[in-house]
Amino acid sequence: MTIRLGRRQFLMGSSALAAAAAAGINPAWAQSALRLIFWGGQARADRTYAVTDLYEAAGNPGLEAEFLSWNDYWPKLATQTAGGTAPDIIQMDYRYIVEYATRNAIAPLDDVIGDLGEFDADQLEGGKVDGQLYGISLGANSVATLVNKAAFEAIGEAVPDNSWTYADLERIGEAFNSAGNGMRAFSDGSGTEPMLDNWLRQRGQSLYTADNKLGFTADDMVEWFQMWDGFRQKGYIVDAETQALDTGAPESSMVAMKRAAMMPSNSNQLVIHQSINDDELTIASYPRIAPGVGGGHYRKPSMFFSVGGSTADREAAAAFINFFVTNPEAGAILGVERGIPCNASVREAITPTLDEQSQIALNFVANLGDLVGALPPSPPAAAGEIDLNLLRVISQEVAFGARSPEDGGKAFVEDATAILARANA
Amino acid sequence: MTVHAADAAPQDAASGTSKWSRAWQSHAPGYLFLLPWFIGFFGLTIGPIISSFYLSFTDFDLLTSPDWVGFANYERMFTNDRTFATSMRVTFTFVLFSVPLKLAFALAIAILLNRGMKGLPLYRAVFYLPSLLGASVAIAILWRQIFAGDGLVNQFLSIFGIVGPSWISNPNYSLWTLIVLSVWQFGSPMIIFLAGLRQIPQDMYEAASLDGASKWRQFWKITLPLLTPVVFFNAIIQTIEAFKSFTPAFIISNGTGSPINSTLFYTLYLYNEAFSYFRMGYASALAWFLLLLIACFTAFSFLTSKYWVHYDD
Repeated sequence: MTIRLGRRQFLMGSSALAAAAAAGINPAWAQSALRLIFWGGQARADRTYAVTDLYEAAGNPGLEAEFLSWNDYWPKLATQTAGGTAPDIIQMDYRYIVEYATRNAIAPLDDVIGDLGEFDADQLEGGKVDGQLYGISLGANSVATLVNKAAFEAIGEAVPDNSWTYADLERIGEAFNSAGNGMRAFSDGSGTEPMLDNWLRQRGQSLYTADNKLGFTADDMVEWFQMWDGFRQKGYIVDAETQALDTGAPESSMVAMKRAAMMPSNSNQLVIHQSINDDELTIASYPRIAPGVGGGHYRKPSMFFSVGGSTADREAAAAFINFFVTNPEAGAILGVERGIPCNASVREAITPTLDEQSQIALNFVANLGDLVGALPPSPPAAAGEIDLNLLRVISQEVAFGARSPEDGGKAFVEDATAILARANA
Repeated sequence: MTVHAADAAPQDAASGTSKWSRAWQSHAPGYLFLLPWFIGFFGLTIGPIISSFYLSFTDFDLLTSPDWVGFANYERMFTNDRTFATSMRVTFTFVLFSVPLKLAFALAIAILLNRGMKGLPLYRAVFYLPSLLGASVAIAILWRQIFAGDGLVNQFLSIFGIVGPSWISNPNYSLWTLIVLSVWQFGSPMIIFLAGLRQIPQDMYEAASLDGASKWRQFWKITLPLLTPVVFFNAIIQTIEAFKSFTPAFIISNGTGSPINSTLFYTLYLYNEAFSYFRMGYASALAWFLLLLIACFTAFSFLTSKYWVHYDD
């Protein structure tokens, strides 16, 4: 039996459980079922539950799965981990995997995961912490520029492809401004961490180094803020007030609100963005710093499945994960919703069945070519805090004119260095 | 306001030995009925409060067991945390403006309703409604729509040819939209004011009218002085509520306090420290400081109350 919980069902379910407990009924799954927790929306939940059903139908132990939104997920997972009741199978993000692994909140999988012979080597590598495998990638994706194709066609401008540059952004910015329909060329990317990372990597630098330090200097950061400030003043990107309306939900994005024709996104998110947009969308690479310069992108594990550190049955949990990523039927159900499948035969099997946006995403990730550079080291502890509490705030201060780009760049590097030193002492 | 406490103790003059057992016998069923509440109170409220006090002296991060760090968390708060200072400034601005405005608004509406009009229960219910809805997620989302760049407020202003900013996403105004949201929820102090106004004897107004006092003068010399106990009560409750305010800022800024931390309430900062950055120890210290702050404010209000609160006895 599979137990699945959304928000409302959770309330109803918990009262039913309380009633069952009061009546002395002990549900069968309470002893043996594996618990699975993941973040995502209803579409992801439907696909995931279909796979757990498939797994059970094959005579395997049942799963009790629960999903939450990204924001609610981390507090809940952390609280459960602290209380010693962490689920057996945990959806894990690149940002948190080091913190969870170094605290033994997730378990190493090398000896139990079974055969992953067809798995992409770079995706396996991405799930390792200190040489041990802690997470199995559920899909590869890459950062990408989300492009409103219809908006480009409306003003007679060519849609950017993977060769486009920051200089093109200025040219396109002029074109949109002279069209005068109120739409800007790009959203404000100055506070978007992956965009900064990509820009630095094209310059041969990196956001973080392997020894948990910043991979760039205050001068680089000043240059970054100055570049975006220039775009802002010339009206190539949306103004600060408009950008601040973006809460991170797809519905409030600058492209969805028709404030900008392009914005930074991820390859796997084309599907969700297209589902709420009536204009036809596509994706292109992030802009290059100069024609022919690559190395900014990489194939990132979009998310992992990890096994909880306190699980009673590590092998059973690992067996489900293996099934999830290698079974062709499961792969057909999951599609590319979590990113491009990392298992070669699954990928080949599902390719012809995909819808148009999924095909675009798959082709994009498969054909990055010279755009791809080396996989960066996993982000250090407190990388999340630097993104949320520092980059977001200082980029807004610069955008609203409360700080100069020079001041903002210096403050960012100074504060980020202090946060990293404290967190990784 | 007068509170009539029920006479709980049995009025017998029983001798010393049996007094306790007899008292216990008569109270036992009461305590038994209270037991579920006691379990909740001690297990879910007092217990966590005490453990958070302990955790405030540790570096607890939810995933590993806590280590004792002494006063380091409290020290960091005051010496090495600019965001703490920012959140204090935001919260104090919110409290200092939202509480007086809300009370003034509630009192004005209460006086209006107290003049006796047709359909009073309906108006009372309608004015109270925002208080019930106010802390809800739906209202916070609605607020975003109303105060956005192309929202209702700016559409209204554009009738007069005014081009308004995007109130909710401009750091100069965003906190004010939250203050307006709080003032809009004036229902519960209004109901209490209305009850207080009903208790003022009518003959005082009649006597004052005979002596030629204007309505304005009657308000300042009769209504307000006699209402001060109610004002005092409302001020304390609303101040505590304002310090604790969390949901609107959390929803409207998606938990970030954005733009530029301009809506980073103290509670929101505390929440982020605990659940975004997993610094449970530091967050506990922040929580205890907030408790201390509210206690000081309340104590201060009680100390000054004897100079401005008039009880009619």
